[in-house]
Formats: sequence, structure tokens, C-alpha cells
Amino acid sequence: MTHLPYIVASYGLAAIMALVLSIGAALRLRRARARLAALEQTNNRSAGTPFTP
Amino acid sequence: MSASPTLVARTGSFFHRYANPGRFLKLGARLQPWLTWPAIAFTLAGLGWGLFYSPADWQQGDSVRIMYVHVPAAMLASGGYAGLALCGLLSLVWRHPLADLAAVEIGPVGACITALCLATGSIWGKPMWGTWWVWDARLTSVLVLFFLYLGHIALIRAFDDPQRGYRAAAILALAGAVDLPIIKFSVQWWNTLHQPDSITLTGAPTMSASMLWPLALSTIGFSLGFAAIVVARTRAAVMESRIRALLSSPRRGGGAA
Amino acid sequence: MTRKTRRLWLVIACVACLGTAAALILRAFSSDIVFFVTPSQVEASPPPADRTVKLGGMVVAGSVKRDKHGETPIATFAVTDGQAAVTVHYEGILPDLFREGQSVVAIGTVQPDHDFVASEVLAKHDETYMPKEVAEALKKSGKWDPRFGPPPSAASWNTMTVQDAGKNLSAPTTAPN
Repeated sequence: MTHLPYIVASYGLAAIMALVLSIGAALRLRRARARLAALEQTNNRSAGTPFTP
Repeated sequence: MSASPTLVARTGSFFHRYANPGRFLKLGARLQPWLTWPAIAFTLAGLGWGLFYSPADWQQGDSVRIMYVHVPAAMLASGGYAGLALCGLLSLVWRHPLADLAAVEIGPVGACITALCLATGSIWGKPMWGTWWVWDARLTSVLVLFFLYLGHIALIRAFDDPQRGYRAAAILALAGAVDLPIIKFSVQWWNTLHQPDSITLTGAPTMSASMLWPLALSTIGFSLGFAAIVVARTRAAVMESRIRALLSSPRRGGGAA
Repeated sequence: MTRKTRRLWLVIACVACLGTAAALILRAFSSDIVFFVTPSQVEASPPPADRTVKLGGMVVAGSVKRDKHGETPIATFAVTDGQAAVTVHYEGILPDLFREGQSVVAIGTVQPDHDFVASEVLAKHDETYMPKEVAEALKKSGKWDPRFGPPPSAASWNTMTVQDAGKNLSAPTTAPN
């Protein structure tokens, strides 16, 4: 392949960016979901009424 | 003119049906796998095809393979900003709460993809044009787009009262949309070093079909991936705001903090 | 509801005003936004010798003369926009894409004798993307000479990608680029 370093650099940048963005979003979503579930559970237990959005 | 108020109201109520955060969480959870997995499949197929099976260009050699990253990134840079402008419109006119949350989340993702477009363009320009960067109309207008994204990211987080940040950022997003047609038509209106578009709405593509297919696949893949990441981040943002509301609500019992 | 309608019209009016303002500004500065000037523009009104200009156009077929000044290569070639041609002198390594018939942008100054001395030469490629095998086949069949103009439309050789390219792939077409 001609211009291999340039191609590798481009695809490498794209891969790094995709990984950082998608893993970041997945982790954030998981953390938020777990935290919300825990909070709603304690809330329901103490208040006795289910949380409705 | 007489019909417009009801039309505006109706459009508003249509959007508001999905403004309900609870409804959005349900819809988003259902939508997510349909965005994520096809995004991965299309991107891998398009980039794999482009990298290993598509032909080299007769004069650019294998460096033409950078196109399969650069062009989708460029399309999404503009498309993402159009999304930001739409969120701005929904926010300013209909006070759509979800549009504000989405705008907060689109900004960083759009800035990243614009940076990728600029970086891969630069990497492609060095061996082909003989320079990393020139100040021609296309490159400069995309750089302006990058700074618009950065400005939006900063502005929407700049106020203690988030509502004021949303309003200011929405105005910036709408005003900055002026840059989108400039980017699109810069290569036609002025002499630029950047070549004109190969794929246009009006004419046949000036690109070999063997290169067009992988480009189409990776463009679909990148777009779905952009949507998947934005939807995931917006879902997380809705949950986080609900967590904040629960934590600050007086009803809350002690315990988990 | 009327407040929403009013806000919508307000936003539309603001965007329209802003768009018009931007369009007017761009129109006014249109000549400054162009990245390069054409040979006929240089011919019509030669810029002063101390001003750096960017000259854009096509390298005239058969006009390229390469020389060596010690270690550094020297190139002389004519750049045309179809109406006028300007002779360009350049000392240095030309970009990979430089060839006869290619669009280039030369950055430099116009000498009193109307020749152009470039300090930098950039290659400008066109929007056509074509497999190497197809280009070879087109050249061999005499349908297209890259030195004299843009390639035929993609629709006319897309089918070739399948048919002729396969034939040419089997034959050794490892011509150096």
C-alpha cells in the first residue's frame, strides 16, 4: 500500500475517537441507570408510593 | 398566515409528545440496539471494504482510502450541527426540555467528529496536495464550524441557571447554521484548493462505483453511530436529571447518597 | 399558543436577517475569499512584484522542463486556464500528484517579465475517483489522455471496472506511477 503511515494515522484516529465516545457513553449510561434504580428503590421503600415520571 | 397558529400549535404538540422524559427513556431504550448494532456492522463493513477490497485511485494511490473516514466525518460534522440548530429552534420556540438536553449532548460528539474531519483531511492533504493546511474557503469554513461547536459547548455550560445557558446556546446554534450552506457551496462559489463534491444531488457521481459502495456503507455506519452515541448520552442525561431531582426532593428518605 | 407562534416568526426573521447579512458580506469579500487567481487575471492586471499571489490553473501538456541545480530540482512549466498561460519557475520537490494536465496552485510572485517564480507548488486534484486499472484501460484504448483533459464520466466506465479491470489485473500492470 502506498501512503501507509497516512492511512494508518487516519483510521487509527477514527478508531480511537469511536472507542472513547462509545465506551464513555455506555459507562455513563450504565452508571446513571444503576444509580437511578438504587435511588428509586430506597425512595419507594421509604415513601411507599412508586415514582412516576 | 391564518392557518399558521394552529399549525405551529400542532407541530408543537407533536414534538411535545416526545418531550416527556419518561416517554423518551422508553423510546430510547427500545431504539438503542437498533442504532448501535447496525452502526457497528455498517462501519466495519464499509471501512473493511474500503481498506482492503476497494481499488486504489489511479493518481492518489492507496491514500484515497482516507476518504472512507474523511467524507462521512465531514458529512456528520455538518449534519450534527444541523441537528444542534434544530434543537435550538425547538428550544427557543417550543421550550422543548428534551431539545436542551440533546443539545448539551450533541455538542461534544459533533466537535469530536469535526476534529476527526479536519485531522484526516490534513493527513490526506499532506501527501496529495503537498500541504497540511491552506486557508481556502472550504477548510476555513469547516474550522469555523469546529469553533462554533466549541463555543456552543462552553456557552451551554456557562451559566449558573441552566435555562439561560440553554437559551444562549440555542441562539448560537441557530446563528451558526449560516455556516452550513457556506461549507456546502464554498467549493462552487470560490476557487478553492479543495476539489468540488464528487456526489451531488443534481448530477451523477464522478466516482467509481467500486469506491462509492464502501463510502455509502461507512457513511450509513458513521451516521447510525453518531445517533447511537447521542441517544445513549441523552438517555444518561435524562436519568441524571431525574437522579438530581430525586436527591433534592424533600420526599427522599435517607440512605443511598 | 400565540406566544409560540410569535417566537417562531421572531426566530425565522432573525435567521433570515442573519443569512442576508452573511450573504452580503460574502459577496462583498468574494474576491478576497478566492484561494487563487487565474492566469488570465494575472495577464490582465499583473500584481506588483513584491506581492505574493496564488496562481491556479492546469499544467500545459508538454511544457514541463525538469532540471537540477546542484541537489535541488528545478522545474519550469506553463499554467493555463484555457485563455492565457503563465510560465512558472519553481525550485524544490513537486508534490506526488504533479503531472501534465493536473490542476496546480503555485504560490509566489510575478516578475517584471511576466514570468512567475513560485516558492511553493500545491497539487489540486479533481473530484473524479477512478481505479488505477480503469485509468490504464482508458489510456490504452485511447479514449482518454490525462494530459489533455478531465476523464469521461464515471457512468461510461463503471461497467469497465468489472470487465476490463479483471483482464488488466491478470496482466502485469505494475507500471510505476
